[in-house]
Amino acid sequence: MPDCAAVGLPAPVFVLSGYDAFLGFLLIAAAVPVLALVTNKLLSPTSRSGERDLTYESGMEPIGGAWIQFNIRYYMFALVFVIFDVETVFLYPWAVAFHRLGLLAFIEALVFISILLVALAYAWRKGALEWS
Amino acid sequence: MTIASSTQFLCFAALSAAVAIGALGVVLLPNIVYSAFLLGGVFLSVAGLYLLLNASFVAAAQVLVYVGAVNVLILFAIMLVNKKEAMAEIPGLALRRVLSGAVCAGLFVLLLRVAFITPWATPGPEPIGDEATIRIGEHLFSDYLLPFELASVLLLMAMIGAIVLARRDVLSADIVTGEPADQGLIEKSRTPLLLETPAPASPAMPTPVLEKR
Repeated sequence: MPDCAAVGLPAPVFVLSGYDAFLGFLLIAAAVPVLALVTNKLLSPTSRSGERDLTYESGMEPIGGAWIQFNIRYYMFALVFVIFDVETVFLYPWAVAFHRLGLLAFIEALVFISILLVALAYAWRKGALEWS
Repeated sequence: MTIASSTQFLCFAALSAAVAIGALGVVLLPNIVYSAFLLGGVFLSVAGLYLLLNASFVAAAQVLVYVGAVNVLILFAIMLVNKKEAMAEIPGLALRRVLSGAVCAGLFVLLLRVAFITPWATPGPEPIGDEATIRIGEHLFSDYLLPFELASVLLLMAMIGAIVLARRDVLSADIVTGEPADQGLIEKSRTPLLLETPAPASPAMPTPVLEKR
């Protein structure tokens, strides 16, 4: 930022390493859907028959609208996912600092995971993971 | 090798624009599915801003918690909403809009004031970059050990509470009113998710045809 020195602010320093490659990947990943859609638009033949406007549903004719009321049990899967997603946040610094932490930290992480395994077992027992 | 200063400024501008435009889209778009996906984009852009501020762990937590958890829950809540049940007309919509606009403008003025009276020039602590997440891990497993383990107990409680609340057949009656629990939810929890399709097109990949209530 060139104007930071003018107002007396220290220039922000980006000290994380390896993120130039991340930026490259991000740009490529962002370009892929854009390129795919633009290529489709340019190359594909255009037809405006009725079937073309149908929603793609594995080759079958879609029944009804796309926005229906879903079964409440899908929400159970989301809830179970969220619990273990938050668990990942706690385990991430453990994994990064693994080589500096000793055996004690390993056991502590095992305790942490085993308490959450109780949660998984409870969800399993209560049938939250059953499809029917 | 790190990102150059000009690239950093470009990233900051792009992320700020994405946050501002995305947030406006969340509020202004009439379709709440678009709003939910735009909210995910806003969360991702905020994670990018954290990354520019050398806070890689906060960025990862932002992606995991907000994009992974909060936004998924919002999307599932939208999936559970039946669109055909038209929402009732809100009485006094104009007055509500004026009031909420006034509250938002007040918050904006407050933030502006904070931004202008804060002495930003004071040098903060030296950024330690990749070391930060390791430091967090070391603290988490030494002096913050008890909160760390209590967090897992909290997650266990959250899981049990969510299952008890979502599966009402655990409770036979509503706690507050004493009436029988919402039968609709229980009945839906008993119906199979997959309808019996008479002749599936490909048995290897059965198409989940969602039941229509």
